[in-house]
Formats: sequence, structure tokens, C-alpha cells
Amino acid sequence: MAPAAAWGLAGLLLLVAGFCLVERQLWRACQGFVAFGLLMALAWLLLGAPWLALAEALLGAVLTGGTLLWTLRGRGALPRLALRDETPRRARVTAPLRWLLMLAWLGLTGFALLRLLGLEALTPPASATTLSAATGVLIMGPAVWGFATQRHLLRRLLAFNLLGSGVFLLLAGLAGPVAEVQGLILVGLVVALLGSVLGAALLLRLHAAAGLVSLEPAAGADP
Amino acid sequence: MNPTSFHVLWLLCAPPALGLLTLVRPPRHGALVLLAGLPLPLVALWLLLGLDTGPLAGQLALGPLLLHWRLDGLAALLWLLTMVLLLASALYAAGYARAAPLDARAYAWLWPLLGGLATGLGLIWIAADLLLLYAGLELMGLCAVGMLLLPGSVAALTAGLRYLLFALVGSLTWLLGIALLLGAWGRLDLAGLAAVAQPDPVTAIAVALLASGLLLKASIFPLHGWLVPVHGSAWTPVSAIHGALVVKASFFILLLLWRLLLPDAIAGALALGALGSLAVLWGGVQAWRAAGLKELVAWSTVGQLGYLMLAFPLLAGTGAAVAALAWQATWLQLAGHALAKSAMFMAAGNLLLATGATRLEGLTGTSRRLPLSLLTFGLAAVTLMGLPPSAGFTAKWLWLQASLAAGQWAWVAVLGLGTLLSAAYVFRVLRCSFVEDAPEPVLRGLPLGMELVALALALAAIGLGLAAAWPLALLPPVSVP
Repeated sequence: MAPAAAWGLAGLLLLVAGFCLVERQLWRACQGFVAFGLLMALAWLLLGAPWLALAEALLGAVLTGGTLLWTLRGRGALPRLALRDETPRRARVTAPLRWLLMLAWLGLTGFALLRLLGLEALTPPASATTLSAATGVLIMGPAVWGFATQRHLLRRLLAFNLLGSGVFLLLAGLAGPVAEVQGLILVGLVVALLGSVLGAALLLRLHAAAGLVSLEPAAGADP
Repeated sequence: MNPTSFHVLWLLCAPPALGLLTLVRPPRHGALVLLAGLPLPLVALWLLLGLDTGPLAGQLALGPLLLHWRLDGLAALLWLLTMVLLLASALYAAGYARAAPLDARAYAWLWPLLGGLATGLGLIWIAADLLLLYAGLELMGLCAVGMLLLPGSVAALTAGLRYLLFALVGSLTWLLGIALLLGAWGRLDLAGLAAVAQPDPVTAIAVALLASGLLLKASIFPLHGWLVPVHGSAWTPVSAIHGALVVKASFFILLLLWRLLLPDAIAGALALGALGSLAVLWGGVQAWRAAGLKELVAWSTVGQLGYLMLAFPLLAGTGAAVAALAWQATWLQLAGHALAKSAMFMAAGNLLLATGATRLEGLTGTSRRLPLSLLTFGLAAVTLMGLPPSAGFTAKWLWLQASLAAGQWAWVAVLGLGTLLSAAYVFRVLRCSFVEDAPEPVLRGLPLGMELVALALALAAIGLGLAAAWPLALLPPVSVP
């Protein structure tokens, strides 16, 4: 069995990720993401990758989380975003499509995992790496759902970042924390940071130009 | 470090360095850009000519991490093409900044983004492991989104944000695919993967995940929705470079990985070919219906990219002779379309900037007043329609032969219909501009350099058809499984 600390950390990661995805108070959700980044750094430390832990804390928690918080605080003359996500839920008619997307994502990954790990994938994880892979898959599911369901662009950026962390955990779980994996995750962290910065800057411009916080033209009036 | 790998490194690092330098004082005259940028294509040409002893390969050790690169004829040709087109766009941009009212700060940002794009594309052409490919792809993608959104109308911001979100998730599907490959086969370098990887279900799932992200970035039907609105408001030099190169790089990676990991997956290859055929038809019809000139050119990109997808069915399990024809046709079409499409975007940009119109009806009477830009548009259209002696004609001729030899008749119909549709939308533009009884338009004067750059690219696309033997001789032969 994996050590108790690893189980505790996996549980905490899932809990915080879930909180970030369902919380409509944007400030608290973004704070939750900073905590999630720090927990991820702990996970890398536990898996024996101290440099990656440092990069995760710096790039993931401080810079990406900081960008999201800074977007909420407002910048210069641009009008501020509302602190609460007031966008309506998506129409129920399209819900099966979103579930299908999530199940396809999880199904493909799960099938590949079954082929790779054999029947071991169905038993409780026995080592820290398989536990990491399992946690990654469990984070990816709700993150895909959140990305497809939510309208508020900041929350979708959050969901993308959580999804990315899930993929990183799966990657490290499948191949172990070798140099190639650390390189891939490092590039992935930089891409997530730059993508979040770009997305947040565009969101602020879109909000300033048209008062929008989502991609649909008018809230509630789906064409 | 031997001199060649030094030059490779220099060619990767020089463009962003130049871009950052110009951030301080963005250039507004072409001569300066030409002076600073001319060494780049020359070094690329020198690398290409130095390859007569065979392809180069090397490794770069970053601590315990080994990065693999290789430079073969194809990579060197594409790199040369990239550098020529980037230089042309930079020259055009310097004139564009004088002729069009651009926001000064946004214009300054264009240059480092252009440099980053050059590095990203260079990495993609020479990468021989999945980590370098990932880094190159993401660098290119982020720089491209940034460039396209510099002007920032609300419609473009919405389309661009949608593209950014999907592209970011696409990059995660790419990473997930790599995770599966790494978990299954334990390595990232392409040569090693080719040696150990079996086409089993895990590899198929991994390639499907990799492909879904790449198809989105290449805006292949039905994932093309973001392309047209973004181009509608983007700056002309940015549109030119994006339509010419950025979408092609994703296609290049997809073809590379497909042939490496799933060379015998005929059903998947046929599906990709079918998507391409739909893209040719849908893009052609939409271009024919488009109201604005830039929208028309952007829809034509969607259609022309579809032709490239025919490479998948014609290269999978068809035999050596057919594969060789399709292989040559693919790269000739890619290069010819890149030159012609950037020329066409620039010519269209010139026409729109001079007349102040955005819709096709605004072009009436331009045949007498802007003959050079209209000539460029026509010459670029010759390549896109595939009339002789252009590169587009040679490529389509090779594809036709390959389809007939492989007995895949459906593609013949696609090639024929696509040609008719492109003729239809091109003649719509020409008909509007030859209307003589319209009131005399008030024209804004353009720097001559803007028209000459576009004309040179259009002529190069036609010249590539006449001198196709030289680049085709440099292509590495296609390997048949």
C-alpha cells in the first residue's frame, strides 16, 4: 500500500480541485487554485522530484494563481469583473453531449490504462506512482465536465489548469518521475501559465469592450 | 559543437533576439528590415545546400534530459520557406505600419511575436523527439494567437478566445497522448519510438488524442470554425504568415507521427482523407458565398488545407510508386500554397487598404487604379486554382496520377470539384474589380514595397511549378512500410 501521507495528499488534491470547480465566488475559487498548486508541489516532492516541486510552486501556484487573482482585482482603467459568477447554467438539452465528452475522455484514458497496467488498474493503488495516476484520472473527469459546462471564462481557465494538473499526475504516474516526464511537465506548466496570462488579458479586453465574461453574445439568450 | 549545429542554434535564436531588439523601436522602413533579416534565409539556404552529404542528426543534453534533432532535406526546405515568408511578412509589415492606422504599442509587440513564431516553426521542422515537438508547437501556437488578436475587435476577441481555450485543451490531449506513448514504450525520441512501438490499441488511442489537438490547430474541417472570424480583423501581414505556415506546421506533425506510429491504419487514413474532401468542398462553397474579401481568402485556406489531407489515404498501404507521387505532391502543394496564400492575403490587404472597403462590392473600378495588386491577386489565384505552370498545377497533377494508380477514384472527383469551386470564387473577385461604370473610387496611396513583396511571392509560387525538379530532388525518399 502507498504510504498514508500519499493517500491523504491525494484526497486533499481531489477535495480542493472539486471546490475550485463548483465555487461561484471567483475570488475564493482562485484562492483554492493557489492552494491546489501548493498541494501539487507537495505531491512532486513526495514522488521524489524536488526541482519540479519548486517549478510547480513558482509557475503553477504563484504565477498562474497570481494571474487569475490579479485579473479579478482589476487593472488600471479597465472596468473590474464581478466577483461572483452570475452566468446562467447551460441548457439542459445539450447536457448529454457534455457527459458524452467527459465519458469519452475518461473512457479512452481508462481503456489505455487497463491495457498498460493490466488488472492492477482495478485494485486499490499499491504504490505512490499508481496512486498518482489514479488521482490524475479522478481530477480529469470533473475538470473536463467543468470546462464544458461553465460559461464564465475565468472559471473555464481554472478548469483548464486543473485538467492540466490531472494530465501531469497521470503522466508522472505512468512513466515515473524520470527526466523526460519532468521536462514535459515543465513545458506544460509554462504553456499553462502563458495561456492563462493571454486568456486573462483577452478576457479583460473583451469585458472592457463589450461587457462580456463569456463567449456567448448575451447571457441566457443562446442562439 | 560542429559548425552546422552552431548554425542551427543561431537560426533558432536570432529571430526572437531581433524581435526583442525592435520592441524598443519598431521599424517603419523596409530597407532596415531587409538588412537585418536577410541573413536568416541565407543561412537556411546554406544549411540546405550543405545537406548533400546526407541528413544531419544530433542530441542536446540538458542535464539528464536528451533532446534529439535531425535536419533532412524536407526540414531544411521547410525552414528556408519559413524564413523567406517571415522576411516577406516583416517587409510588408514595415510598409503596412506606415499606410494603415495601427496602435503603436500593439505594432511594437508584433515583432517579438514574429520572432517567437520563427523559433517555434524552426523547432517543429527539426524536432526528432516528442518533447521538442511539444515545445515548438506550443510556442508557435501562443505566438500566433497573440499576433492574430493584436487589433482586437469584439468579434475577433470572441473567436480568438474560443480558439485559445480549445487550443489549450488540445495541447492537453497532446500531452495525454504522449503520456500513454511514454507509459507504453518508455521513450520520446521518434527514431526509438519507430523501432519499438507496435500499432496496438494503446498506440491508436494515443495517436487519436494527438491528432485531435493537431486537427484543431490546423483548422481542418469540422474544427475550422475559429479561423475565418479571426482572420477577418487580423492585420494583413499576420494573416499572411498564419494562413501560409502556422496551420501547415500542425499538418506536418500529424503526417510525421501518423507515418511513424500507425503506417498501416488504412481506415483512419481514409477517414482523414474524407475530412479533407469535405473541407475542400465546404471551404470552396463558403469562399464563393463570402461577403468580405478577407473572409473569402480565409475560407479558401480552409479548402486548400483539405487537399493536404489526401496525403493520408494515398500514403497508407498503396505501394511504393503511388506513395512516391503523393509524397511529392503533398510537399509541393504545401510550399506552393504557402507562397500563393501569403501573396493573396497581401494583395487582398492592399486592395482593401487602398479602397477602404471590406466587402467585395467595394472593389469596383480597381482594375484600372490598382493594376499591380490585382495582377498579384490573379497570379496567386493561378496557383490556388491549379492552372499550369504553377506549383498548384504540378501538385494536383501528381495527386491525380497517384489517385488513379491507387484506384481511389473519389479523390479525382474532389480534385476536380475543388478546382471548379476555386475558379468560381476567384472570378467573383475579378468580376467585381473589372466593373467599369462605378464611380471613381478615392484611393489611398500605398508604399510600393507592399505591392512588390506580394508580387514577388506570387511569382515565386508560379516559379516553383516551373522549377519543381530542384526541391523535389532534395526531398528525402518516402519510406514505404
